[in-house]
Amino acid sequence: MTKEQRLKKRHNAEKRFRFYGLASIFFALLFVLILVHNIFSKGSSAFMKTAINVEVFYDKDLLELEPGASEEEILEADFFDITIESLLKVYPAKNMDEEDALIELFTTDAEIEIKKAFLNNKNLIGKKINLEITASDDIDQLHKGNYPRDLPEDRRRISNFQLEIYDVLVENKTITKNFNNYFFKNGDSRDPEIAGIGGALVGSFYSILICLLLAFPVAVLASIYLEEFAPKNKITDFIEININNLAAVPSIVYGLLALQILLATIQLPRSTPLVAGITLALMTLPRIIIPCRASLKAVPPSIREGALAVGASKFQSVFHHVVPLALPGTLSGTIIGLAQALGETAPLILIGMVAFVVDIPSTPIDPSSSLPVQVYLWSESAERGFVEKTSATIMMLLSFLIVMNFLAVYLRQKFEKRWN
Amino acid sequence: MNNVKIKSKNLNVYYGEKQALFNVNLDLNEKEVTALIGPSGCGKSTFIRCINRMNDVIDICKVSGNIEIDGVEINDKNLDVVSLRERVGMVFQKPNPFPKSIYDNISYGPKIHGKGETKSELDEIVENSLKKAALWEEVKDRLDEPGTGLSGGQQQRLCIARAISVNPEVILMDEPCSALDPIATAKIEELIDELKKTYTIVIVTHSMAQAVRVSQKTGFFHLGKLIEVGKTEKIFKNPDNKMTQDYITGRFG
Repeated sequence: MTKEQRLKKRHNAEKRFRFYGLASIFFALLFVLILVHNIFSKGSSAFMKTAINVEVFYDKDLLELEPGASEEEILEADFFDITIESLLKVYPAKNMDEEDALIELFTTDAEIEIKKAFLNNKNLIGKKINLEITASDDIDQLHKGNYPRDLPEDRRRISNFQLEIYDVLVENKTITKNFNNYFFKNGDSRDPEIAGIGGALVGSFYSILICLLLAFPVAVLASIYLEEFAPKNKITDFIEININNLAAVPSIVYGLLALQILLATIQLPRSTPLVAGITLALMTLPRIIIPCRASLKAVPPSIREGALAVGASKFQSVFHHVVPLALPGTLSGTIIGLAQALGETAPLILIGMVAFVVDIPSTPIDPSSSLPVQVYLWSESAERGFVEKTSATIMMLLSFLIVMNFLAVYLRQKFEKRWN
Repeated sequence: MNNVKIKSKNLNVYYGEKQALFNVNLDLNEKEVTALIGPSGCGKSTFIRCINRMNDVIDICKVSGNIEIDGVEINDKNLDVVSLRERVGMVFQKPNPFPKSIYDNISYGPKIHGKGETKSELDEIVENSLKKAALWEEVKDRLDEPGTGLSGGQQQRLCIARAISVNPEVILMDEPCSALDPIATAKIEELIDELKKTYTIVIVTHSMAQAVRVSQKTGFFHLGKLIEVGKTEKIFKNPDNKMTQDYITGRFG
């Protein structure tokens, strides 16, 4: 082989390698794009909800309320009759079947919405007002274009008569799309149009908070002791190996552990953020200790020697010099550990967070859901409305993870000190 | 001839299985500069790290034998290393200022030893230490800037000032100029000459010329043994030992 041939071969090898590298990056990005596109195209519509403009007449006689009624009286009053009256005014129905079909266009919570509007403005008695009443899940999906209306009637959940009403409503512009505050405010529900991630958000928040409060101090103290104070012998080697192994233990095993110890033995309340937080803390502990020790290890020994040489004790050299320098790495490691915990599903399913919880938890010992478990729950539901809600919840979860990861990077870059 | 300040008797050091120092008997005089020379890995640094017990940091390191400062045994398990290191300062091969301000670098030592109760006392200590380290004029207007932002030579003088700040009796210097350029080296050497009026100084160096310039006494180490020790003039002009002769003339090492 001549010199030129060898040179050419070398250049070709380099070109090939560049091509392989670019191709892999292209594929990786392609899959990310497909995933993001899939989630966004399915989920973005969940942030809007369909509502139908209804004229409500707060009839004094039907409500059996006098002007100036107290809050309790209003809460006890029956709004069912005026709800039906108001809803039936939207379209002329000829018989009972048609009336039922008409009422089915609205959410089952229509009565509550009408009551709430009245509670906000108690002077409405005997007056008429236009309210945006949330439409049923089927109408919502139809209006968002997710529902195929060209199916034969017997295979459709929406009857021909209901479609007829819908078309009239669209023509009159009484059907509208608004921001879906229910999605953020409400707890879970069997009716997709009023189901929300409020309960899951609060549950996840409490779980992660408890996880942070338990795991962070323990992990930091453990890493400082292991890295700076512990003698290097067989026992510490054994502990080190075990920490690394624990970080790789499948999360479902921690769920089983929590089930046995926290629920069966200690008898903590099931399905609660408290138990979830403790379980996640157990799981996150080794995952925080590892980056924590790495950042302590990254502090150059010369800093420790410098401190010791002016007469600082071991404790002073560690807490005055080493720990502050390792703090940015420690914090970002913790945040990434928490981000992993936030997305963890399997152990939470085992400790009963998969239960159907409608109420939003007010304390960490109330039954609750959490974001990833909510995704799991809704992804199993048949209703079309839950498909978009599943994707929208994933979007929320992903945005929290992205924010946390950015925070970790920011903290590290902002506060990391450089030395030569 | 000055009094003996530090006295080592039958000093042996082991790193695990490996013995690093063999029966070293060496006297270091008060308010004098003693230079330790020898090829890499001969045990000079190990020796000076015994004087302020820095070897304690290394788990596998075992020290046997005696070191006395002013007649008091320091290689003693019950001795408080914190107060020992207050009396015996150290400057390292690579400048290692704390990643803090110049002021905090100097004031850290006095603070942890409870010297300088008030701000003005601390200010005075910082100023004096920097003046003694010949750095005051260069940094007096930027004491709040990070110490790591100084040049290499300035950083090393900052480390010397840091060692001085706790008012030690002995200063150990482990190749303090090996990371510096000739101009910065000259400044440090001038400084050492000045400092020996107040402190007992032990300096490890790879530069024969430096040993000749700064020291009054020189010890030559080889493979963990102290081969020869004596007045610097004598060691470099007329050594007793053949190995010393070979080393200082550059035939090995």
